[in-house]
Amino acid sequence: MATAAPPMEQRPNIPSATVRLPAVKDYEQVDREIMGTLKPTLGWFAALATAILCLLIGVSAWFYQVYAGMGVAGYNPPVMWGVYIISFVFWVGIGHAGTLISAILYLFRAGFRTSIYRCAEAMTVFAVMTAGLFPILHLGRPWKFFWLIPYPNWRLLWPQFKSPLVWDVFAILTYLTVSSTFLYIGLIPDIATLRDKETNPVRKAIYAAMSLGWRNSDREWRHFTRAYLFLAAFSTPLVLSVHSVVSFDFAMALTPGWHATIFPPYFVAGAIFSGLGMVFTIIIPIRKFFKLQHYVTLNDLDAAAKMCLFTSLVVGLAYLTEFQIAWMSGNKYEQDYFWNRVFGQWAWAAWIMLICNMVLPLSLFSQKLRRNPSWLFILSLFINLGMWFERFVIVVPALSHEFEPWQWGTYAPTWVDYAILLGSFGWFFMWFLLFIKQLPVIAITEMKEIVPPKLRKVGGGGH
Amino acid sequence: MSGLIGVFAELDSTVNAIGELRRSRFNEITVYSPTPRHELEHAIEAPPSRVRVFTLIGGVCGATFGYWIAIWSSRYWPIVVGGKAIATWVPYTIFGFEVMVLVGSLSTVFALFALSRVPRLTMTVGYDERFSQGHFGIFVATAPDRAKEAAELLKKHGAVEVRHEA
Repeated sequence: MATAAPPMEQRPNIPSATVRLPAVKDYEQVDREIMGTLKPTLGWFAALATAILCLLIGVSAWFYQVYAGMGVAGYNPPVMWGVYIISFVFWVGIGHAGTLISAILYLFRAGFRTSIYRCAEAMTVFAVMTAGLFPILHLGRPWKFFWLIPYPNWRLLWPQFKSPLVWDVFAILTYLTVSSTFLYIGLIPDIATLRDKETNPVRKAIYAAMSLGWRNSDREWRHFTRAYLFLAAFSTPLVLSVHSVVSFDFAMALTPGWHATIFPPYFVAGAIFSGLGMVFTIIIPIRKFFKLQHYVTLNDLDAAAKMCLFTSLVVGLAYLTEFQIAWMSGNKYEQDYFWNRVFGQWAWAAWIMLICNMVLPLSLFSQKLRRNPSWLFILSLFINLGMWFERFVIVVPALSHEFEPWQWGTYAPTWVDYAILLGSFGWFFMWFLLFIKQLPVIAITEMKEIVPPKLRKVGGGGH
Repeated sequence: MSGLIGVFAELDSTVNAIGELRRSRFNEITVYSPTPRHELEHAIEAPPSRVRVFTLIGGVCGATFGYWIAIWSSRYWPIVVGGKAIATWVPYTIFGFEVMVLVGSLSTVFALFALSRVPRLTMTVGYDERFSQGHFGIFVATAPDRAKEAAELLKKHGAVEVRHEA
């Protein structure tokens, strides 16, 4: 008979810090149920076909725009930024909650992240891939986009490093690279599990290549845990910097409504809030259709809803602070702009924003509603809508109502704008739907860290 | 390297087996587990990972390059913007920071791969597919004259299977 294991030092174990999964008994159940989500279904094919159709509509509209020129996209002086820049900021923002959940909550030892972080991380990568398209779509000559990247060339030309557009290029490319790397590194042990379970030789070979020959050895885990920690530590300030840089696109201008020091924290809070909305939009149907309610528990949704409520309050405070700054500044142009925004020409958009982002999320003070997945899903749709309109309200009213009356104008998106916006959703969901049927939507390895391991002697170890 | 592989169903049995193998001077041990476990980490007493060194070097090189490319190209093609200096450190901190994160992260990944010795084209000796699922494993690299002793020790601690690997 073996002797009992010696007492173990109690150190914080990140995924199991606060979470218990009573309905999950052992490692085999984790493997079986999470891998069970990989089987394609008719509903999945229908959803994928819809996403691809939306994408094709967007691509067709873009071809038409390239052929006919930017005028078909509703741009008329003075409003030369519209749906593309709005959607760029919207999609970058969506990505931020993924990094918050996967990296920042990892550093804070928040256990509830474990069940939702894989979805959120994948959402980040696909959202940034979507966001990156919009500045290119917005270019008059999109095929020249690589001029923004500093590379040695025979003309000895370099980009203007004082331009916020070049800051964007560096921030977005870094963000896309680091988020993709973070997602892939976290996936390697799970892909190794898929490889070892797979019986189809072709799929097994693909998984073997993707898992890089991972063996779950102590050497690999030792370096993996350290590398994962450092990647999380890099991602945390990165996520804050990226949306700050995006906010500089506006704040560097002298335009009333844009030239404000509050923009970086305001944008970061808004980004996290909108991203949490999208996390709910995605994770709640996945949880239901894949029957994963005992992994993504009501406690997890409750905790995420509290974060959503908190960021909503921060965003609401930022809105009110903007009004206060305009009021107390004594600056006529600033005051006139905000009046026009809330009670004038753009009141309809501003009130959609205020109601969706400030008023409706207050419902999350109720624990009953925080634990109601149906309500969270409905609310998340309003948050997505509200946050898109937040960017509309930032971009369009400022350009349409600058200093002098001769600069004032209006803006109306055209069918090309709407088609490309629809196409962006198609692009995003196409990648996401492909992802969830090829790779585990919940991290198998980290789930196993929560589930107690088998012990020979009851209470003989494990924490 | 030839040796023995022991497959365990329980975590505490694995921890106990590692402890006794180490006390019996079987020092070339590789432990497999479906998920990282602190108990195994303590039992193995491996030195701290050196990933941090690569991260630091990558981060410093990245920050240096980020500032350098912005300052060098500004001075190479000087254009006054907004009446500001040709090379201005405030906006160029964005490049210093972003490239620090980029190169630091990629160096970290490189370190993970190099130190873990992946990508690995074959599974080599001493691996069992159960190790990524629900079982724990110990591979003991040993000379043939001590193989029997190691096998008995693994079985004594509850290995569900012990086999030779070469």
